Amino acid sequence: MSEQAIIVDRGYRPYEGPRGTLRSSMWAIVKDGYRRALGLRRRAWSKVMPWGLIALMLMITMVVIAVAWFAGDLIPDLPSYAEYFDLTSQLGLLFVALTGPLLLVPDRVNGVLAVYMSRPLRMSDYLLAKTAALVSLMLTFYLVPQTILHLGLAALSDDGFFSYLGANLDVLWKVPVVALAYIATHGSIAFAVSAFLGRSGLASGLYLGFIIITNNVAGLIVSVATFPGAKYAALFALEQHPRYFRDWVFGTNAGFLIMEEAGFDAWVSLICIMAIVALSSLVVWRQYRKLP
Amino acid sequence: MPLFSVDNLTHNYGDVQALTDISLEVPDGAIGLVGANGAGKSTLIKILLGLLTPTSGDVQVLGQDVRTQIRQARARVGYMPEGDCLPIDQSASDFVAYSAELAGVPAKAARRRASESLALVGLGEERFRYLKDFSTGMFQRVKLAQAIVHDPKVVFLDEPTAGLDPEGREQMLDLVNRLAEYKISVIFSTHILSDIERTCDWVVLLDNGRVKRNGALDRLGSHGVVQIELIDDPHPTADILRGRGLMVTVDGFRMSIPAAEGVTTLVRDAFAESGAGIRSMTETQITLEEAFFEVGPALPPPVPT
Repeated sequence: MSEQAIIVDRGYRPYEGPRGTLRSSMWAIVKDGYRRALGLRRRAWSKVMPWGLIALMLMITMVVIAVAWFAGDLIPDLPSYAEYFDLTSQLGLLFVALTGPLLLVPDRVNGVLAVYMSRPLRMSDYLLAKTAALVSLMLTFYLVPQTILHLGLAALSDDGFFSYLGANLDVLWKVPVVALAYIATHGSIAFAVSAFLGRSGLASGLYLGFIIITNNVAGLIVSVATFPGAKYAALFALEQHPRYFRDWVFGTNAGFLIMEEAGFDAWVSLICIMAIVALSSLVVWRQYRKLP
Repeated sequence: MPLFSVDNLTHNYGDVQALTDISLEVPDGAIGLVGANGAGKSTLIKILLGLLTPTSGDVQVLGQDVRTQIRQARARVGYMPEGDCLPIDQSASDFVAYSAELAGVPAKAARRRASESLALVGLGEERFRYLKDFSTGMFQRVKLAQAIVHDPKVVFLDEPTAGLDPEGREQMLDLVNRLAEYKISVIFSTHILSDIERTCDWVVLLDNGRVKRNGALDRLGSHGVVQIELIDDPHPTADILRGRGLMVTVDGFRMSIPAAEGVTTLVRDAFAESGAGIRSMTETQITLEEAFFEVGPALPPPVPT
């Protein structure tokens, strides 16, 4: 057998196979975004933060389901779907702070944009693909635990699995819509910050600092300041807009909100979310259109 | 079909005019784009790649208008930028495969093409190493591999030998020469004229945003000149030669005439007619460097394209 074996060096040769369209090029960028954000095909330390956050997110879900299973009778007020967002949104914020800069900064700093732009792509295609990568990653981050929670609670329901699902059909649209509101707010700000900075870690830190400071300063002004128009400071409590929107969608009141204290209706937060997305998109586009 | 053509191309950066009313038509093959720093080479490449929109003028690459058909043009174009363009946290194989996917090659074929391209540039063994661990020479090779991985019709090489040691430079020039085996045309931008002489068969000389020379290298860079030193006044002999259609330059007791078939016979006859004495007669070659700096004997007129 071995006598018949031959070694064939294929070497470089012309490519005559199929060539994809713009969609396949953009899909390649999305896949690369997943690999970079999750540290796949990279050194071990790149995997620690993203997978640590995913593990924590799933752990919270498991704890809620375990509590419902073992002590459901003792603790009747398990977190609702809306309250579950409060439990996990800080992890979501950290995940965006990690992922947003990783998707944009290294390509720019390493000069890889020059390679992208020599391929059949425009800068707008690149940015759209990066946005798709962020949104799909974040949706997975939010929705997989919520789905596990939903199915777990349905399995433990006294009314039966399918009765529970049937009685909670509204969750199927409310949870994704609220998750999108969180992603739109947090993700667009993360991209805007990342468009200006040359280090992913610095961008993550500044993004988190920006969110925390705007929230606290806005809260302080609304509760303490007495000058006319002080209530408009609430509009700058950026992190609170998706939470106010969530309460609006679920018809709940999950906690203290600056916008509510300032006397604004929830639809104002929806407008603010749209404005944040529009402004951030404009900032990112202005920064990228002159590159590479 | 020309590799690229530009017509009345002008590009300004604010008040600075980078390219001034350039018109060119370049055939396929290995094209040298030569000029000093700031001559407009990188600007021209960026315009050809559609990275810059020209202030005015028409540009076509592989028959596609770069304003309206840039995606079609880029699908068959590769680009090796001068500066850094590699993500250091990825392996060479992953990045080159990804570059192929960006050009529309399916994922499985892209991985195979990445291996083939990296083998071609001499990195077959190192392809799974992280780029962070690569030397400058290896970086340049990976940059070349990503530029050719999708089998482009033309590859733009922007200063491919920059930062390489003499051995690395030789290897890179050999690689550039090998691209012709795969019917990949090359646009080689550099300010190192000897690199062009080693690799190219056509050259475009840019100077201050204008085309100084454009033509086949054998007619432009190595054009012969007959130089004659006389004992007597050279003007009567020069007038006879001019009367026979030759371009003659007189400098003191020296004359120079562009070399061509039959010139020496004409020169001999002219000296016989004028009776002037000859001290010496030699035929010399103009190097690309002399052509660029316009030193040495008179240059032939630009070759019409």
